[in-house]
Amino acid sequence: MSQVETVTPFVLSRSDPAPGTLARPRRRAARLGGRGLFLLSWAVPVALLAVWEFLARQGYVTPQVLPAPSKVLATAVKLTISGSLLSDLGTSLLRAAIGFVIGGSIAFALGVLVGFSRIAEALLDRSVQMVRAIPFLALLPLVIVWFGVGEGQKIFLVALGVAFPIYINTTLGIRQVDPKLLELGRVQGLSTFTLIRRIVLPGALPSILTGVRYSLATAWLALVVAETLGAEAGIGFLAMDAREFLRTDVVVLTIVIYALIGVAADSAARLLERRLLAWHPNFGGTGR
Amino acid sequence: MSGALLSRRPAVRVTGLRRAYGPRVIIDRLDLVIGRGEFVALLGESGCGKTTLLRALAGLDPIDGGSIEAPGRPAVVFQEHRLLPWDSLWRNVALGLNAAGARQKAGAALAEVGLSGRLDDWPRNLSGGQAQRVALARALVQEPELLLLDEPFAALDALTRIHMHGLVKALVARHRPGVMLVTHDVDEAIALADRILVMRGGAIAAEHCSPEPGAPAASRAQLLAELGVAHDPAAA
Repeated sequence: MSQVETVTPFVLSRSDPAPGTLARPRRRAARLGGRGLFLLSWAVPVALLAVWEFLARQGYVTPQVLPAPSKVLATAVKLTISGSLLSDLGTSLLRAAIGFVIGGSIAFALGVLVGFSRIAEALLDRSVQMVRAIPFLALLPLVIVWFGVGEGQKIFLVALGVAFPIYINTTLGIRQVDPKLLELGRVQGLSTFTLIRRIVLPGALPSILTGVRYSLATAWLALVVAETLGAEAGIGFLAMDAREFLRTDVVVLTIVIYALIGVAADSAARLLERRLLAWHPNFGGTGR
Repeated sequence: MSGALLSRRPAVRVTGLRRAYGPRVIIDRLDLVIGRGEFVALLGESGCGKTTLLRALAGLDPIDGGSIEAPGRPAVVFQEHRLLPWDSLWRNVALGLNAAGARQKAGAALAEVGLSGRLDDWPRNLSGGQAQRVALARALVQEPELLLLDEPFAALDALTRIHMHGLVKALVARHRPGVMLVTHDVDEAIALADRILVMRGGAIAAEHCSPEPGAPAASRAQLLAELGVAHDPAAA
């Protein structure tokens, strides 16, 4: 019955016999105001959750297929109290962090080199671009042959996933630095090192940070894939272990955690952009 | 005035300068001496080689012949302010200075161009004229013996331009660098320069020295005629 109710707002002509112009729904939106629209945007996911909860409780959906949201929440609380959730989360975050630092720093160094030197570009860029054409997850079987299914494989895969977005955006950012500012640097007598530090890197920073944001997303994706293969700890291990015992509540919980951490990583990157690019009209607020 | 200055070591001495892009010769056998404290304006229609000359003097472009002797590194103010948007004003002004006392020096230079107390402000909060004043401060804080101005007022509105003329004149009188101002504005050249050079076809076609300090170096009509704009109604 409730489905019928949610449809009614779109049947505008029922209470208003005059055929509506396009302006009519717009006026309705204006009456709702920004706050109203905000609440409305949250109403849909909340309603979906409620429907899910209702269906699960009534037994229309068996817990093995999809447990009730309340059950997932209860499992989260239980696993948090027992400490196993936090330790698995820590393991996963550490893998992501190590892979990110390794892949990110190598890619950044290569990006700076190639962005600067035409010779380095000629030597490296084509090869990197060719490797980039491979979806990095397609390398997974080979990576397993090289590293087995231990920590090495997971960190390597994350590093690989992180490397390309950072490499590409770093070279791009450096190339896009205003040549007039580089000329100014020469006129002011800057050394190459100072030129890089004061003009090239700040100028490339917006692009580099975009790369960081993309790479955080791919790092996370790489970790999910890597952890579902022969992990002995971590969120992925938790999920695969739960699958063995048909504990779909734990599986759903791990999926939610992956989502939450993805959101958190993205927010962290945005925060970094706002802090570091305060001068930039597209990122900063006003003034500083 | 310029004669007395030339007897000392000049701010720059250009001898037989040649600059070519492939077969196209932009500057050919050009000689030029600018003394300390002398304000030289370089007039010419676009494409005559005046910006090429400035870039050669600034060390931004290689030269194909002749020589440029200058005691130090010249400072340049470009048509655009070229401030680093990610640095505060004082860091912009101090770009290229040694770290010791850089903030103080930059602060003093900013005060000189009428922007005291704005050390920690950002370039995006400045008007066009203010930004160009910061660029001027950035050039002068280097204490150059040769100051190159590449149409620095061309993008400013008329009133701001007049203010800038007064400011530049006062600052040059105080710091006494040799100045080469590249411009296509005849009135600007007359208002500012001790000596006006008209460039045509890669060489200096005419030269006018001001007869006494502060007096105009040439008349408007004369310069316009030399620039090939003889039928200007204002000149008649």
